[in-house]
Amino acid sequence: MKDSFWYPIVFMLIMVVIFASILSVMYRFSQDKILRQERDSYQIAVLSTLASAISDYTGESTESIMAAYPESYERFVRSRDYPELDRESYQAEVDEEILAYCFEIRGKGLWGSMQALVSTTVDLRTILDFNIVNQHETPGLGARIEEDWFLSQFRDRLFVVNPDAEEDISQSYEFIAETQTPENERQLRRVTGATITSDSVIKMLRDEFNHIYKYFRNNEL
Amino acid sequence: MTKKEIFVNAAFRENSVWRQILGICSALAVTNLMLNSLILGLGVIFTLTLANFTISLIRNWTPRSVRMMIQTLIIASYVIIVDIFLKANLPEISKQLGPYVGLIITNCILMGRAEAFASQNKPFDSMIDGIGAGLGYTLVLLVISFVRELFGFGSIFGLRILGDWWISWSIMVMAPSAFFLLALLIWAINTYYYKAKA
Repeated sequence: MKDSFWYPIVFMLIMVVIFASILSVMYRFSQDKILRQERDSYQIAVLSTLASAISDYTGESTESIMAAYPESYERFVRSRDYPELDRESYQAEVDEEILAYCFEIRGKGLWGSMQALVSTTVDLRTILDFNIVNQHETPGLGARIEEDWFLSQFRDRLFVVNPDAEEDISQSYEFIAETQTPENERQLRRVTGATITSDSVIKMLRDEFNHIYKYFRNNEL
Repeated sequence: MTKKEIFVNAAFRENSVWRQILGICSALAVTNLMLNSLILGLGVIFTLTLANFTISLIRNWTPRSVRMMIQTLIIASYVIIVDIFLKANLPEISKQLGPYVGLIITNCILMGRAEAFASQNKPFDSMIDGIGAGLGYTLVLLVISFVRELFGFGSIFGLRILGDWWISWSIMVMAPSAFFLLALLIWAINTYYYKAKA
């Protein structure tokens, strides 16, 4: 029977149906939980990116703000919809005063796309905080862009003077080796063995930051 | 063969990496950090054990002409089950394991053990073979990653072992070091175990 023409086809079909059904049922029962986990994880990343600005204004520590999630998220973070900007946008707000903006930015890494959250001052020129939320870089090499020592280099950093000015400050940053100590404020340490990924991060920030700045300026926001 | 012999054979005597040179791609790719190696190793042990068991269970009904498609289907299904479970219950570990899911599906050891053992032996024996082969593979990953992480980052499982005086060897973080270390490991085992035994 196993040598007949139809047996392998029918057997294969039965196996595909069995395993596809098991996977479908398992996914169906886990779907809500997975979506909830993803939403929480994203909101925590947004709150974390805006936490320093909230902390500076309210005097609460960033740890207590993070520990109070989801209440603190509801209290301080507002989602904003900017037509044509085509990205998730948020603002930290206390007593109707805007403390900082947070934008989702995207770029191309070595192996795939990267997604990050960047918070800025209300004049959109200085980076307050920066977190990578999704990347597909080499584990142990490029994936180390998520480490705090790398990300903290971008915190409280002037990034846009004026895109139309002769000197574009975002172009003046340069990478040095991870083991070196920066000699001036324009030098940033790159991840060892991940030159392309490190360069991609700064390119993503430069392109997206300038794009957002121009959008706000052109729309007089 | 006794159960113990099956296990020892799969894990050590006929180790998939140093004896059969299988699973090399992932052994080179992920061994710069011990935690990544351990996570991948656990994923492979789980998938290999259950895939071997299932393939062996249906071996008498599986036509030869489609057996490899069936094996791939079973292996991929178990990997997806692991992925869904982790995403729903352990999102942090899932984030770390994420890049390796594809590597588990394409790991030659899984197809190798399915073809060489599970498709010709009883389910329980195949399960033991899966556990042994998975542990043998994990052992190799951990040995290589121990050296690479220690010299490349000065740490073990992310914990700083060597002080600030230590200057990290960049070569250990990069892929070429895995080639050298794996070659040294295979040479050492061949010289001091197999040749000495012969």
